Amino acid sequence: MNAEFLIPLLAAAVQSGTPILFATLGEMFTEKAGVLNLGVEGMMMVGALAAFTTSLATGSPWTGLVAGGLAAAALGCLHGLACLTFQGNQVVSGLALTILGTGLANYLGTPYIGQTAPGFMALPVPGLSQIPVLGRVLFSQDALVYLSFALPGLFWLFWQRTRWGMACTAAGEHPAAAEAAGLNPVALRWAAIAAGGFLVGLGGAYLSLAYTHLWTNGMSSGRGWIAVALVIFAFWRPGRAVFGAYLFGGVMAFQLRLQASGTNLPSSLLLMLPYALTVGVLLFSAMRGQGGSSDAPEALGINVEPRE
Amino acid sequence: MAERIKRTPPPKGDPVVRLEGITKRFGKVVANEDITLDIFAGRIKALLGENGAGKSTLMSILSGRYPPDAGRIAVDGRPAHFTSTSGAIEAGIGMVYQHFMLVRSMTVAENVMLGQEGGIWTSPRRMRDHVAELAERYGLHVDPAAKVSQLSMGERQRVEILKLLHRDSKVLILDEPTTVLTPRETGQLFEALWAMADAGKSIVFISHKLEEVLAVADEVAILRRGRIVDEMDQNEIGSKEDLATRMIGRALLLAVDRTRAPMGETVLEIDNLSGHGLEDIGLRVRQGEVVAVVGVAGNGQKALVETVTGLLPPQSGDVTLLGRPWREFYARPDWKETLSYVPEDRMGLAACPELDLTENVLLTTRAGFVRGPWLERAKAADVTRGLARRHHVTPQEPAALARQLSGGNLQKLVLAREFYRKPRIIVAEQPTQGLDVAATEEVWHRLLNARTKAGVLLVTGDVTEALQLADTIAVMFRGRIMDVFDAADQSKVKAIGRLMAGLPADPGG
Repeated sequence: MNAEFLIPLLAAAVQSGTPILFATLGEMFTEKAGVLNLGVEGMMMVGALAAFTTSLATGSPWTGLVAGGLAAAALGCLHGLACLTFQGNQVVSGLALTILGTGLANYLGTPYIGQTAPGFMALPVPGLSQIPVLGRVLFSQDALVYLSFALPGLFWLFWQRTRWGMACTAAGEHPAAAEAAGLNPVALRWAAIAAGGFLVGLGGAYLSLAYTHLWTNGMSSGRGWIAVALVIFAFWRPGRAVFGAYLFGGVMAFQLRLQASGTNLPSSLLLMLPYALTVGVLLFSAMRGQGGSSDAPEALGINVEPRE
Repeated sequence: MAERIKRTPPPKGDPVVRLEGITKRFGKVVANEDITLDIFAGRIKALLGENGAGKSTLMSILSGRYPPDAGRIAVDGRPAHFTSTSGAIEAGIGMVYQHFMLVRSMTVAENVMLGQEGGIWTSPRRMRDHVAELAERYGLHVDPAAKVSQLSMGERQRVEILKLLHRDSKVLILDEPTTVLTPRETGQLFEALWAMADAGKSIVFISHKLEEVLAVADEVAILRRGRIVDEMDQNEIGSKEDLATRMIGRALLLAVDRTRAPMGETVLEIDNLSGHGLEDIGLRVRQGEVVAVVGVAGNGQKALVETVTGLLPPQSGDVTLLGRPWREFYARPDWKETLSYVPEDRMGLAACPELDLTENVLLTTRAGFVRGPWLERAKAADVTRGLARRHHVTPQEPAALARQLSGGNLQKLVLAREFYRKPRIIVAEQPTQGLDVAATEEVWHRLLNARTKAGVLLVTGDVTEALQLADTIAVMFRGRIMDVFDAADQSKVKAIGRLMAGLPADPGG
């Protein structure tokens, strides 16, 4: 394997991993406040479609990006309505959201199949892109990739160094304690669902505006589920999410390249690779999680009991 | 427990908080009726009463959790209406609940500062310094950088108190604060309470334990059936018996009237049991006998109980139950009919909180309710109702959920269930912890009655309980049995305290 194969592969891994990173961080943000949202896949699809159609209509990919985030956040708020307002089961509501989101996006998106919209182009960073290897892997990407570089650090700052981050963590660990401290855990969870949903939507928008510039049905192809698994793999830590997202991006890019190179391996086996890796990653997390205390927010998936 | 120190509480000035004519009903039940109470700065007020007397309801009203149906609250002479706990906290009134409200994955400092950080950015170092300084000032020693999950119950309680102090609470309410504490931690808590009172804070100490009230309070208010029946200053308090009589409204048999039962065959025999922190344990329990294992919690009682009840296989040594070796006894399915375990953790080990009473009875007792593969629920419900009636469990409704029962009622149900199986060995672990006087008395009587048919291994940290019930006393320290003696042996009984601390019974030797 030579550099001519490896460097484009790594660059493609970063590009392919970026939508997963956005979705993983979004889901992590929601889960840290105690809400398990399995609707990521559906929200990504809706975000991708909203971003694509908005960009097509306005001619501005940035407006499309914001629209994608908002659409996914709005869909996420359905989950908030079901779980925070009506005390519904979070697993059931999340699954329903995925079915609704993918169905809705495929139905509404059918007329756009094959069309192209203005999207994000590669934007090499002056200077940095000249660095050997790293320049081509990390700094010859589009603007959204650079945005995603900043996110894990911002997340760390938010959770470790701001009072809102502390409040969100408390709402996810022990909502009753948060309430006793004068906070409003339900409001915090609403905020986490909306903000996390926005990020998931950005991940979807990346697929239709940067990764490709066109619409195809089912374009997230399981990336939302991978994001859910990666949150567990990352032990709810943003830094590890980066590693996980690029690992998956790498596997996805690798199997595409291998197919293109005309290998004898059946393509169905290659297509299976990311999902097989998901199972492996979950096994690894489960084994790591044994013995020590779990890193999951203690009240994850448990609704806040209404006040007496 | 800490010795009562010579402390002169400040004179009563104007009350910091005045409750006037407070009434609270839950459905048809009157929890508080026309209660008037003054709380003064710098004084420790004990609110004494049995479980269900209305102490916790009254303090929940004061701390803003429930609105009263009638009556007024005045803080510093001005009327106050709390719609939430945060309203009460702002008015300077805070409560330490029995179940701590702490985020286990966060540090002590983060828990104390949560919701009160001021500014958007937080600094772990500044938070630690602030909390350390606060802890130092009131003698509430706890490491501000430690995660709450690493702390003992006593330390967690200190964090709760620090939370209130950080919020500049003037009135601190502690609901049964010693239930989760070791005797040493109880002493430390009392010292901190005195330090806080000396700093001008008002303390309300809710308890049903007479010794603690006598030790710590500057004044006592006694609640019975939702009403204040008596109020007195510390120098007006008579004897413990006098307090008990006023609390339950009748003379209390603090000593259970008992005669020895005839001894039968040996039902449990432990020889040279070692491992899991135990060292060379030897014990014998006969039918008709109560053997009490006393000791400070954490000296190997857990491993001993788990071994006897079949949860932990013995590493070395012999455990013989009803003449059969441990492995043989627990390999056979009919052991359920011969051994009963009354665990310390009622809600976790003895009962499923989300199941109803019938199902909880069926958890350990299915004999007689099974026909082929079918479970006869209706019959079980009838038996449950009968058990609840005979053992004075309220509510007597088999469809009630276990979590809806108070600690005392749940314990009565667990005992009723276990004794219904007619066991020949009973292992009872801290059977009266957290129960009020009347419930304790009832549990003691049940255990003594059951002893005629069975041998009882009683594991307790409460020496009084051991002396009330036991025929034979074994003192445990660091996994060893220090001494085993007849409960009538007065010279050994006097030395229990020394034995529990790991010292020889004879001070000269």
